[in-house]
Amino acid sequence: MRFRQIFRLIGILNFFLGLSMLVPLSISLIYSDGSFFPLLFSFIITSGTGITLFFLIGKINYLSLSQREGMAIVTFGWLTAGFFGSLPFLFSGSISTLTNAYFESISGFTTTGASILANIESLPKGILFWRSQTQWMGGMGIIVLSIAILPFLGVGGMQLYKAEIPSPVVDKLQPRISETAKTLWRVYLFITLLEIGLLFIGGMPLFDSICHAFCTMPTGGFSTQNGSIAQYNSAYFDGVITFFMILAGINFSLHFKFLKGDFKVFGKDPECRVFLLILAILICLVTFNIYGTIYNSLSHALRRATFQVTSIITTTGFVTANYATWPALSQIIILLCMFIGAMAGSTGGAIKIMRIILLAKHGYQEIFRLIHPHAVRSIKLGGKPVPAEVLNSIWGFFILYLGLFIVAVIIMSLIGLDIPTSFASVAATIGNVGPGFGLVGPVNNYLPVPDLGKWVLIFCMILGRLEIYTVIIMLAPAYWRK
Amino acid sequence: MKIIIIGAGEVGFHIAQRLSEENQDVVLIEKDPIKIREVQNVIDVQAILGSGTNPSVLIEAGIKESDMLVAATDSDESNLIACFYAQYLTDYITKIARVKNSDYMKHREIFNQDFLNIDLIINPQSEMVSSMLRLIEVPEASEVIDFADGRIKLIGITIKDNSPLVGRKLSSFTDFEHVILVGVIVRGEKVIIPSGLDTIQPNDLIYCVIHKENTGSIFRLMNVREEGLGRIIIIGGGETGLALATSLDATTINTKIIEKDGQRCLELAEKLKKIVVLNGDGTDREFLLEENIADVDIMVVITGDDENNVLISLLGKALGAKKTVTRIGNLSYIPLISAIGIDTVVSPRLSAIRAILQYIRKGKVICVAPLKGEGAEAIEFEALETSDIVNIPLSEIKFPKEAIIGAIVRGEEVIIPRGHNMIKPHDHLIIFALKGAIPKIQKLFTVKLEYF
Repeated sequence: MRFRQIFRLIGILNFFLGLSMLVPLSISLIYSDGSFFPLLFSFIITSGTGITLFFLIGKINYLSLSQREGMAIVTFGWLTAGFFGSLPFLFSGSISTLTNAYFESISGFTTTGASILANIESLPKGILFWRSQTQWMGGMGIIVLSIAILPFLGVGGMQLYKAEIPSPVVDKLQPRISETAKTLWRVYLFITLLEIGLLFIGGMPLFDSICHAFCTMPTGGFSTQNGSIAQYNSAYFDGVITFFMILAGINFSLHFKFLKGDFKVFGKDPECRVFLLILAILICLVTFNIYGTIYNSLSHALRRATFQVTSIITTTGFVTANYATWPALSQIIILLCMFIGAMAGSTGGAIKIMRIILLAKHGYQEIFRLIHPHAVRSIKLGGKPVPAEVLNSIWGFFILYLGLFIVAVIIMSLIGLDIPTSFASVAATIGNVGPGFGLVGPVNNYLPVPDLGKWVLIFCMILGRLEIYTVIIMLAPAYWRK
Repeated sequence: MKIIIIGAGEVGFHIAQRLSEENQDVVLIEKDPIKIREVQNVIDVQAILGSGTNPSVLIEAGIKESDMLVAATDSDESNLIACFYAQYLTDYITKIARVKNSDYMKHREIFNQDFLNIDLIINPQSEMVSSMLRLIEVPEASEVIDFADGRIKLIGITIKDNSPLVGRKLSSFTDFEHVILVGVIVRGEKVIIPSGLDTIQPNDLIYCVIHKENTGSIFRLMNVREEGLGRIIIIGGGETGLALATSLDATTINTKIIEKDGQRCLELAEKLKKIVVLNGDGTDREFLLEENIADVDIMVVITGDDENNVLISLLGKALGAKKTVTRIGNLSYIPLISAIGIDTVVSPRLSAIRAILQYIRKGKVICVAPLKGEGAEAIEFEALETSDIVNIPLSEIKFPKEAIIGAIVRGEEVIIPRGHNMIKPHDHLIIFALKGAIPKIQKLFTVKLEYF
């Protein structure tokens, strides 16, 4: 472990994070909403700290980052980004305590969308924009963004990329890692612009369109409205946002291939087919479950079910209906969605479809082996055999995910939260979803959770976003041994 | 430039590493998932799991947008099939194939335009034979590389304790500065591009450029023995041994070839004219003594077994052979070689890497030679009219510290440069550079080209 290297890169990272605060800064100038100075101070502190670290440490060769160092940079990079990201909330007085501000900031960067704010609309526009922007940057990854910007990372970039990208198998779209990162960001930016355009055409104010698009594409879920998307009560907005949530839940390398002219790519990809199938089945189930019991018109039930199931399974967390009042089956489905998640390589969180497919196939293989003890079978995905080490790492991930979930639930219940809240708050944060059940249900927020609980949830959010291994490895004593 | 490399073995891996460090877009195709993971951890290339002989893998690798295909697996057939598909899939791609089997080489017509249309066939064995022949030509050197069509030789010499150069600063070489320039000093594991202040120490391996005609006088200056080459013993009568022996058969050098396998000895005897074929084991001390190993000028050890080769060479040295040339296949051994007392190494893989890199960089760069485990390189460049470096005194060029101009070749004239010399357009320059400085050098030489 070479700490100089690690801290210098974290310095650069925070320098750029500070620069990105210039965007909400200019927004605050346009609206002259009084958040100019808080944002300015945050910018100066963040970039200043970054550049000081950078120059204090001096020149270093980056070509050879080890996997361990890559993981350390990503984890500490995210922790510090969360801290600096909370400064605008603190300085503007929008959020008064550090715990709450850090919670909000990490919830933004990890694209969770769990908020501690009760009255969102009262926030200055600049701060609201920053809140959305943290999600947008965190979605494709602040590290991936720096790989795209910084040309000198080279091979070291690959270690960082692997540590941040949410996928069991790492797909390089271009021969060079910096080009891969640039490509991903370009695709991401393009789809985001498309969504902004469509929302704006439908009559949403430009500021709200940008903020909502910034929170849809990373599957974030922060809204500028107290009542989330439900506030607009527009079938058009529901439709557009649902469509883009599905896009955000699809592997971005498929989008890249689609934009390059391979129009059948979504149908050809086995994971994508399963994802869309699961989505369709769950939407049907929920629709028929809530039709007649909650909603009297089928179209209404379909609209609510589609939006809510999509929002939760892609781990976005926008809300158009209080699903906590739906019948038990629907609630169970929503809770399951929090675990399933979207596709690998998308901006979504949770366990992800690819892992679930492979786990299911592995399970079936064991049954098959009992029937034919001499059978030789390999697990395939889309006709390609899956290496045993990928399967092992998926099993490891699954066990760790459930294990950490259980530990966190126990802590939450020890703190004194009720059963639905304990369960749902952890499921919704480790899966980067946002709204849960009980005290943290779709029409409530996380403010009532005690501080200790908030820190547990912050840890869960980072674990979920960085796919457990990158973070949990820091806790292994062997990691720190020379 | 986008380059597809098939096979992440030593050859493919090294080429991919080199090219990616030079900012080329490299896609590497490899069958072995473990190797793929290694590659992903060490070099910034796109690694694709699959067989290079599978057209759909080639398409996935983006062969249609690629400029070059390097088929560098250990299997000739895979390499040829890959080139065949590449030819079928796209018209404009440059194809380089590594082909070992000499049977294919006898029918070169299958590689030409009408059929496979392969631009360059790399035969590591014949590359290796020609580098051995160059070594035999200048037996005092541990490495000889030709530049400027052989008019300039880059030689590597190990400095002995009694050499007059020992302990002298390079800036004090006034007596022969116009004929020699020390470009690289290898001291243990360290590779140094020297300045005038560096001194030469015993056991340094120095690389210098010399004019072909001056070879003799240089060796006299360095107090290195320069006698005619009398006897050579080749140990190992495989394909390489046979090829080398065949070339030596035409000279007056007294050559013996030793081969363990009796049947193979008969074949060798049928194919060779003057050369004495001996059936015996190279590790047999009595046998070597019987064949007068002490009087041998060069002992070439080229059996198929690396470890055996090293031991036989050491044995030969102990018994009095003046110089050994040892074949080492495994590149990771190369840095150890001089430490254990072996003079000179030839490696089929290193030869293949050298040949492929030379071809890829063709155009701007005329010749490239990786030195000593590739820590440094000697590069022959042509100075372009548009380049920043022409027509100003060398002392005013902002040249990277890790690089040095070894010679300027202007038509027939060869200049060993000093600060006041100037580079004229179309001069060929021979530059020594550490690995890290190579992109800077390339930039310096081509920066203005990008305006076009």
